[in-house]
Amino acid sequence: MPDLIIDGRPVRVPKGTPVIAAAESLGIVIPRFCWHPALGAAGACRMCAVMFLDGPVKGLEMSCMVPAADGMVVETFHPEAVTFRRRVVELLMANHPHDCPVCDEGGHCLLQDETISGGHALRRFPGRKRTYLDQDLGPFIQHEMNRCIHCYRCARFYQEYCGYLDFGPMQNANRVYFGRFASGPLESPFSGNLADICPTGTLTDKPGRYKSRRWDCQRAPSVCPHCSLGCATVALSRYREVVRVEARENPAVNGHFICDRGRYSFGYAASAERPRQARADGVPTSMSTALALAGTRLGGVVEAFGPEAVAVVGSARSSLETQTALTALARAGGWRGPAFFADRTEQQAVAAALAALAGGRARSLAEIGQADAVLCLGVSPLHDAPMLALSLRQAARAGAVVAVADPRPATLPLPFTHLPLAPDKLPGAAALLTGAEAADAAAIQRALPLSPELWPALERLAPAFAAAGNPVLVFAPALAAQAPADARFGLFPVLCGPNAAGAALVADADAPACDDLARAIEAGEVKGLVLAEADAAALSPRLAAALPGLETLVVLDHLPTPSFAAAKVFLPTQTLFESGGTLCNNEARLQYAAPVAPPGEPVSRDGRGGHPPRDYARKLPGTDPLPAAALCAVLALEMGLDMPALSFAAFTGVGPEDVAPEGTRATRLPAAPTAPAPPSAPPGQGLVVVRDDALFATDAYGRYAPLARAQAPAASVVRLHPDDAAGLGLADGEALTVTVGDRRIEATLAVSAAVARGAAVVPRLPGWAGLPAAIGPETLRRRQP
Amino acid sequence: MSLPDAVVAEIDGVIAAVEHHKREAAVDVMYALQRHYGYLCDEAMHYASKALDMTTLELESLATFYDYLYRRPVGRYVIHVCDSVVCWMFHQDSIFDYLCRKLGVPPGGTTEDGMFTVLPAACIGNCHNAPSMLINGRFYDRLTAERIDAVLAELRQSAEEPVRCK
Amino acid sequence: MQVETPLVLLKNRHLGRPATFEEYRAGGGYEALIATVGKRTPAEVLQLVLDADLRGRGGAGFPAGKKWQGIPAGYVGPRYVVVNTDEMEPGTFKDRILVNTDPHLVIEGIILCAYAVQATEGVCFIRPSYESDAVLIEEQSQVARDHGLLGDNILGSGFSFDIHVHRSAGRYICGEASAQIKAISGLRPNPRKGGPRTSVKGLWDCPTIVNNLETLANLPGIVRNGPDWFKSLARSAGGSGTKLFSVSGRISRPGCYELPIGTPLREILDHAGGMPPGRVLKAVIPGGASTPFMPDKYLDLEMDFEPMKRAGQRFGTASIMVFDQNTCLVGATLNLMEFFTRESCGWCTPCREGLPYVRHLLRLIEGGQGEEEHIGMIKDMAQAMRSAYCAFAPGAAEPLLSLFEYFEPEVREHLRQKRCPFGNPPPAMRGKACGTRPPTFGPTPCPEDQCPI
Repeated sequence: MPDLIIDGRPVRVPKGTPVIAAAESLGIVIPRFCWHPALGAAGACRMCAVMFLDGPVKGLEMSCMVPAADGMVVETFHPEAVTFRRRVVELLMANHPHDCPVCDEGGHCLLQDETISGGHALRRFPGRKRTYLDQDLGPFIQHEMNRCIHCYRCARFYQEYCGYLDFGPMQNANRVYFGRFASGPLESPFSGNLADICPTGTLTDKPGRYKSRRWDCQRAPSVCPHCSLGCATVALSRYREVVRVEARENPAVNGHFICDRGRYSFGYAASAERPRQARADGVPTSMSTALALAGTRLGGVVEAFGPEAVAVVGSARSSLETQTALTALARAGGWRGPAFFADRTEQQAVAAALAALAGGRARSLAEIGQADAVLCLGVSPLHDAPMLALSLRQAARAGAVVAVADPRPATLPLPFTHLPLAPDKLPGAAALLTGAEAADAAAIQRALPLSPELWPALERLAPAFAAAGNPVLVFAPALAAQAPADARFGLFPVLCGPNAAGAALVADADAPACDDLARAIEAGEVKGLVLAEADAAALSPRLAAALPGLETLVVLDHLPTPSFAAAKVFLPTQTLFESGGTLCNNEARLQYAAPVAPPGEPVSRDGRGGHPPRDYARKLPGTDPLPAAALCAVLALEMGLDMPALSFAAFTGVGPEDVAPEGTRATRLPAAPTAPAPPSAPPGQGLVVVRDDALFATDAYGRYAPLARAQAPAASVVRLHPDDAAGLGLADGEALTVTVGDRRIEATLAVSAAVARGAAVVPRLPGWAGLPAAIGPETLRRRQP
Repeated sequence: MSLPDAVVAEIDGVIAAVEHHKREAAVDVMYALQRHYGYLCDEAMHYASKALDMTTLELESLATFYDYLYRRPVGRYVIHVCDSVVCWMFHQDSIFDYLCRKLGVPPGGTTEDGMFTVLPAACIGNCHNAPSMLINGRFYDRLTAERIDAVLAELRQSAEEPVRCK
Repeated sequence: MQVETPLVLLKNRHLGRPATFEEYRAGGGYEALIATVGKRTPAEVLQLVLDADLRGRGGAGFPAGKKWQGIPAGYVGPRYVVVNTDEMEPGTFKDRILVNTDPHLVIEGIILCAYAVQATEGVCFIRPSYESDAVLIEEQSQVARDHGLLGDNILGSGFSFDIHVHRSAGRYICGEASAQIKAISGLRPNPRKGGPRTSVKGLWDCPTIVNNLETLANLPGIVRNGPDWFKSLARSAGGSGTKLFSVSGRISRPGCYELPIGTPLREILDHAGGMPPGRVLKAVIPGGASTPFMPDKYLDLEMDFEPMKRAGQRFGTASIMVFDQNTCLVGATLNLMEFFTRESCGWCTPCREGLPYVRHLLRLIEGGQGEEEHIGMIKDMAQAMRSAYCAFAPGAAEPLLSLFEYFEPEVREHLRQKRCPFGNPPPAMRGKACGTRPPTFGPTPCPEDQCPI
């Protein structure tokens, strides 16, 4: 713990802290361009020069390159340092265009700040400015090389931190150019961060381009709802439209970055298809009419069939506030539910996964970056939880061993071993790598007799995992039973929705699941259903199929799902951007997303916010939606129910007032329920259906975000192992017709040895939800021309 | 256009020589392709990328860094005219100008017949024989206008048709 | 008045051809190796080199033995020797002369170094314009291999070491040790600072010794004749060995001369035949382009690391470029800045942006469009260039600052006459940074050139 003095103030920092960070801990922000806490020192920009007056280093040095040491006396305002930094800005501005008025970075530009604060107001260099031609880097990042100050942040982030090699520096000297070999979309699923880390307007956010100045936006800290990790974001809204999402630093979760799914899937909130008005029997109506109708209809059901004939369904995408309100509503009415999961097995699995975290076994995303061995069991990091891949890369860069045991093909930007195994083989593989003793060759061959191609890899991995001091098991909830008793292993479940953990905490142990409700509807026991922010088709095909058997269906949502179309009464709800809310992530960490702007039809579409004269008196369009929790309360009022005052603290042990900015872990975890039986081989012949996410537009929100949807693969792909494809007489690239229930889906076959034998990998899309657990030749057929 | 067996064998050979550290062969592979194609066309870059398991961007960031790898077409003979300070002292300027005028090309330009490209070069390590130039690996010392004329004439005599990327 | 001095490195010099293996052997070549491999411990060889105070000949003058000591004791795994034959410092050609004089002296030196640090593999990093040297080293190392002096189990000692040539594709910055290692590794050769030294973590993350070729060529002599002999070769107190001086520019007999280290500049110039008739010395650059102009008042300065450092000068690569009274030093400095600007790796601001900045102003001054304020601007930026990432821009600042230190009146004469007083034409835009990409994107191609590099 070196002690040093910076600008006359003593400070003690951990060993290895660079002086620039030590100064920052005192609130002294030394100017910088290339230094970034996540990327470390590059020494390229020379902007952070300070004067070292005493100690082991003397003279003008870069504060990012020098680790703090005992006895250092540092002066950031020494005249020599100030002069030098002024020269650096002059040099950078010698070639930087004066296009700030039309630059999207203008106003939150580090170069602008340093130019102004450094007092560089007059250009004395008489030469011409250097110019470049730009590239098209795809839909997310706008390239303006003329503005580049060559801090190398982008290349270091893209290549070193993320591990992608299609973007980087070219040429030398004053011609250095950051780009791709040829124009084309950036390959990295983390490319959006380039806009955040670029200190000038060279790489800016393309979808948000020309939408607004950053300081004109309404901004609020938010939490990403596009997978279960709960990365911290900043939502920026302008003219009643979220125009941009940025990464927010949360050292315990996502660090400084987010993935492109989280950054570019916000469009569902302002989508033209978003239902913003209440409906009664499919006809737009006012909120109060619809609420009254919902009350009447549900009341009628209760009157005719008793309170047990009404059920409530919620989902893993709603906030804890909504889930709690649904529970309170159901309790007040004596109704069934709420059901949050497709079936009991899934609910138990998620509860078991959370229960396993007790006793300090939970690991955060940040802690995974420090693990020395990581096994991903039934989790495909880049698709199930993209930021997990970035943490795994940081672990791998520090020397960690990474293995992915999963039936789906896996690509990761790091050295790792993929063990493509069908779901029923995963428990066996897990046992080989999570034991206290390294499994020997005989044990490996016994456990996986039919996969000799994996034996050498497992023989390499087993001793590494046995020797690891800080290993982590990343697992899908279905494999919660495989969490080893060995306390060495940290645990990191990856769940099926942004608030799946919340749903599991809120749900009663004996709460019905969607399948149970579907059975009850089929049996005529349930006649009225409140479906809140849940799409029956995606959640439980059986429930979706049972909906027509209802007397009344009340849907609360902000997405135009098939259930919305089927609703008898529809009540529009607010999104997380509008209502705010608390989400519980995969490690049971509660985080609060603040509301950024009230709901409303975006001005860009409303078309009436343009040049005056305009009607100032009219009601703003699209402002009907209310928070789902508020709608529950009003509905209870309409029906004369006495809704209990319930806080999610009752379920999580952490109340709204206790949620810290970096999140707070739930203190009430499910009391170790019986872990679900591990996946077993399907009875009889057939291929186990394994669902695979894509980076974009397979999550509940992304499917309704136009920009995310535009990135989704154009054609659906079914993936098979070569042996299984041969068994079905199908070849790579063939056009297929897939029968799902009474529908046919067109797809293409991709054959790869990276798919587990015995597995059929299909997209996780609602249309595919109706596939049975195992399929065969009658489902996968060659498409007849 | 597929590569002749001899070129493929040469590339495989340089990669095999550094098998544990394939990346070390990057420059040699690009040299081999450049000798074949005359310069590093996109096709050559894609071939090198596959042969070396490096992305085209990685190779591009090397090819464009170095001055003896050419990403644009050059002539059969690349004339590297030393323009460092000792040669400059011996009126390298006028020799450079003379070459450009003689060949009818701007600095960096290639003659219409595809024979010569004139490039300024950093000190080529022949200062005691200044002014000096380097053509395809050979030094030409103590240049004068007459000597340049003779060298160009000699090279024109021996030129073959270069292989070009289509 | 020439004094006969003993030749060590160039004693086998033949006109127009390198010495053969037999000629080298006949003069006692490889005796040092035979007496060493398997007979002395590596530590003993290292001690000889430390005692001889052999300093690096590549420019910085770091003691070779100290560098070798940087390898972590007890390290298990491959170790590398990288032989720096990049030699791109303008005015320097000694390594080329040396290889072409006595390739086996160089090869023996490399093997001795490898033995001392127990390296397994040697890489000769050779610049593209020295292709003939690359071929020569490849041929002659095969001869050495055929004689059992190189390769597996050298002289039956159980010590195995082999060398191969890595052909560079150009750029001055590759001469910097960490950049050279990156270049060999197929990475962009940006120098690396901070973190472990290359002797701890170098090529392929293994301990790596990067030495200049001339440095290693001194080893056979040191090992055979001892440190005291090596020290006795020097003329300066505290100096050691002989040195290859590349003499070029306005001098009667430009060439490479081997003279005792510490020989005063005046004598070196005499060896090179003195000034040509009618020419008067104005200044020299004593150690390659990264060293300051040395005006004639230093003619009697001992050419060695320490004496020159004390006089505020730099020994560098001992490449003496002679400028006479008719040569415009503004033009010469501009030429150097053109060189440095073009060769920068583009990593840090003072180098990437500072060099084009001063180059532009020097172009204006040399072309007669200079203004008084430009002088201050150049001085400002030259000062800023001293705080660059690596030694490249600070090296470029040396001649630039010395121009103003010793020859500012000459600069001002350009301003006063609004033209070059030596009659040089205004600098053309030659050597201008130009695009190397296909012209679809990248830097805007300059209209006057379509430079393919």
